[in-house]
Amino acid sequence: MSTHSLTKAALRAEGLPRRRAVNRLMELLAWLAAGIAVAILGVVVWSVARRGAGALNLDLITKVPVPFNFGNTPSGLANAFAGSLVIVGLATLMALPIGILVAVYINEFARPAIRTAVGLALDVLNGVPAIVIGIFVFGLFVVGHGQSGYAGAFALACLMLPLVARSTIEVLALVPNALREASLALGVPRWRTTLSIVLPQTLGGIVTGTVLAVARVAGETAPILFTSSVGVGTLVHWDPHHALQTVPVAIFELSESADPADHAQAWAAALVLLLFILVVNLVARTLAARSRSRIGAAR
Amino acid sequence: MLRIFALAAVAAVLTAACGVAAAAPAAAAGTTLTGAGSTFVAPLVAQWAPAVGQAFGYELQYSPIGSGGGVTAVTNRTVDFGATDAPLSSDQFAACKGCVQIPWALSATSVIYNLQGVKNLLHMNGATLAKIFSGAITKWNDAAIKKLNPGVALPGTSIATVHRSDNSGTTFNFTDFLASASPKWHSKVGTGVAVNWPNGTGARGSSGVAATVAQTPGAIGYVDVAYALRSHITYFAMQNRSGKYATPGLKGILAAASSDQKPDATNALSIVNPPKKFPLAYPISTYTYVVVPTQSAKAPELRKFLFWAVTKGQQAGPKLLFQPIPKPVLVVAEKAIAKLHT
Amino acid sequence: MAEPDASLDATRRPFTGRRVRFGDLALQTVAGAAALAASVLVCLIAYTIVRDSRAAWSDSGLGFVTRVSWDPVKHVYGAGSFLFGTALTSLLALALATPLAIGIALFLTELAPRWVRAPVTALVETLAAIPSVVIGLWGILVLGPVLRDRVEPALHSGLGFIPLFGRPASTGSSIFTAVVVLTIMILPIVASISRELFLGVPRDLKEGALALGTTRWEMVRGVVFPYARGGIAAAMILGLGRAIGEAIAVTQVIGSTVGIHWNLFSTGDTLAGKIAASYQGAEDKAQVASLVYLALILLVFSLVMSVAAQWIVRRVARRQGLAVGPGGVA
Repeated sequence: MSTHSLTKAALRAEGLPRRRAVNRLMELLAWLAAGIAVAILGVVVWSVARRGAGALNLDLITKVPVPFNFGNTPSGLANAFAGSLVIVGLATLMALPIGILVAVYINEFARPAIRTAVGLALDVLNGVPAIVIGIFVFGLFVVGHGQSGYAGAFALACLMLPLVARSTIEVLALVPNALREASLALGVPRWRTTLSIVLPQTLGGIVTGTVLAVARVAGETAPILFTSSVGVGTLVHWDPHHALQTVPVAIFELSESADPADHAQAWAAALVLLLFILVVNLVARTLAARSRSRIGAAR
Repeated sequence: MLRIFALAAVAAVLTAACGVAAAAPAAAAGTTLTGAGSTFVAPLVAQWAPAVGQAFGYELQYSPIGSGGGVTAVTNRTVDFGATDAPLSSDQFAACKGCVQIPWALSATSVIYNLQGVKNLLHMNGATLAKIFSGAITKWNDAAIKKLNPGVALPGTSIATVHRSDNSGTTFNFTDFLASASPKWHSKVGTGVAVNWPNGTGARGSSGVAATVAQTPGAIGYVDVAYALRSHITYFAMQNRSGKYATPGLKGILAAASSDQKPDATNALSIVNPPKKFPLAYPISTYTYVVVPTQSAKAPELRKFLFWAVTKGQQAGPKLLFQPIPKPVLVVAEKAIAKLHT
Repeated sequence: MAEPDASLDATRRPFTGRRVRFGDLALQTVAGAAALAASVLVCLIAYTIVRDSRAAWSDSGLGFVTRVSWDPVKHVYGAGSFLFGTALTSLLALALATPLAIGIALFLTELAPRWVRAPVTALVETLAAIPSVVIGLWGILVLGPVLRDRVEPALHSGLGFIPLFGRPASTGSSIFTAVVVLTIMILPIVASISRELFLGVPRDLKEGALALGTTRWEMVRGVVFPYARGGIAAAMILGLGRAIGEAIAVTQVIGSTVGIHWNLFSTGDTLAGKIAASYQGAEDKAQVASLVYLALILLVFSLVMSVAAQWIVRRVARRQGLAVGPGGVA
């Protein structure tokens, strides 16, 4: 409907009843769409909550898995929770400093041409599917050396890097230039300005970005399948030289079992994972909104 | 505010970590032996792990990723031993550079089905099964199935075939049987750890197949008999070459094993669809092998473990329908194990 | 993204001659090394994937891409079946998700009472945060049986004359289940981007149209949609990229078979799903190389789409002066 015909029809109030009916229909459809979205989310979360809550008990994080549980010994996923902690922690340690440094370089030092190039590299890295990252790390590190927590952590770090870098770039750009210029005018060297004046302003944003990235990779299965899932054993290991079991991979393997007890365990683990991710997302977004309004007010 | 959140988060994580570390049995400082491969032998290895831990202090870590994966893993030396139900080809031996395969367990592949309301142990044979899996027979009340089960009221439900989507020695065993029973299957599809299935749904691992069959009315699949036992799924009584119907029990497996007691040069044995003079044989029985490098740093531990596995370890087998390996094969296995060195 | 001032460029010039502080040089070098590492990483990924698939593409070249068979016994591999599966599932999921997403975005920006907006927005973004393995678990154990027992027979008896709705599957795994799962996964992406776009439409344009007497729907159709058109296209591309790259949830519910079937209720497989199902257990070099070749095709697709979408999104956001939140718009 061209602007001209739209205006014409509106001004002359032509066919108003039909137009009102169409409008009503569209409004109903929009309400319906929203209702469907809420319903979908509700159904998924409700399924996980209901089935998971039933199987949720302290055993889940204190007992180890017992494959082919003929005697119904109490079992849990302690090794998976320990492994996830180690691998996600290591991944954060790998990705965080590099991400911040890349953001600092792009925002504070790089010429426009280099800025575009590195920005493009980050966008490309962000677009690589997680499973391809898994194959990449497998071909790079695992062949000949075996799977390990380090390989898994590296794969997750590749996924986290663009997220951390981008969010740091966003907050760095929000810091007013007047701040930098004032500091330089006072004789503070460039490096000191960046590290002691500019970066502390962005701490909130960096934490938010990192925390969101952690929530994202905590649930990643595909890259871990190829880097830290074979030979993980059932006992709890903390040594990353070893392949470590992780919660998403455990859920994946349990989901394909024929035993309803395994399914119950999968639901419980899914519930814990989901709660973790939801809480983390909620807190991060609250902090983000708060820090954004603070920086905005400071301008 | 940020500081409080950060402190709370760190505290929560530390508490959780301490809880896990304190309560869960942690890895001992002893040796770990990692293995991967066949889902077929996984139930037995799961029984062995705590016993090996107690007897020698080794931690046995086994990942059932399918026979193909096991061979690849041990070829790449990412694990200490691999497990496969499909004997290695000469190409695979060459790629593995100095590996030896040793038969270490003996069991059978059951053909499971889900048909409510039909109580009898249904009969089946290889030729009909091949037709079902190639899509020529699509309904349970087909004439061929009726002929094998006279007097049983079969419903008109559609048959849904389920096969392994990953590389599997169980697939090798099953397709080996179909190929020997049906020349058409042999030429069209063939035998392998993964084949070009004409129809059906794929599922990962024997548990995946068991799960899919258990949840799908009218489904037929194939799994190591231990999985069928554990999931309480019915399986067919399969017709052998002498015309009798046998179930995948210890007797049937033992009878099949007596058809080939001489491992070949690579220690492989073939006991699928044994000849007529073994009337009690279950025709889809198979040995399963452990693949180890002849020379490795963990040779002493491997020798101890494998020696235990083929002798004392076999006692854990019968309740999972693993028949202890017969004496002539045991002798060959022990000889091969003794050759492992650093 | 708020662009840094041009005035900063003066301070950003690299050190030319004058007294170079060691600290400045050190920071620039270290930060530069990190940036270089990130760029090298991308090249390394491409190189590794190309190298590991060499045996397959040097052997079959581009014929691999269209060949439909995947026969490990006869060593004949091809991506055709999986390209079909990927195209069918992703495009269908996009077709289902887009109208829903736009509807939600419209609801949140135009129709919803104030007190409803924040919770529903949070709800939609929460949906995006659910890990794919959890959605896959739900798909296997809850969605699959429901589709198999109620929905698929109903669709088949009602619309069975269309080849898409052929004989219902007997298991809960099918292309249809995968399409539903993918729709759930890309819905929040398209919805949240569309919402930001609609929020950015200048108020005076919208109020002007309403003042002239248009109904709300006509205002949306005549002002909001044309304004947001580019951004919605980018959002759709991003969603499509997500669907194409999804491996875990798909492999849990799609049934893993080879072959081209138009019947939505049959099983199938996608590029990503096939890799997830078969890579761990791949036994010979030819099979491994073929699987990595699948990954190469996947990589090329998702890269093109991701880069294009991000570029459009940034261009549109810049034009509208939107603040793109932490982590980007996606």
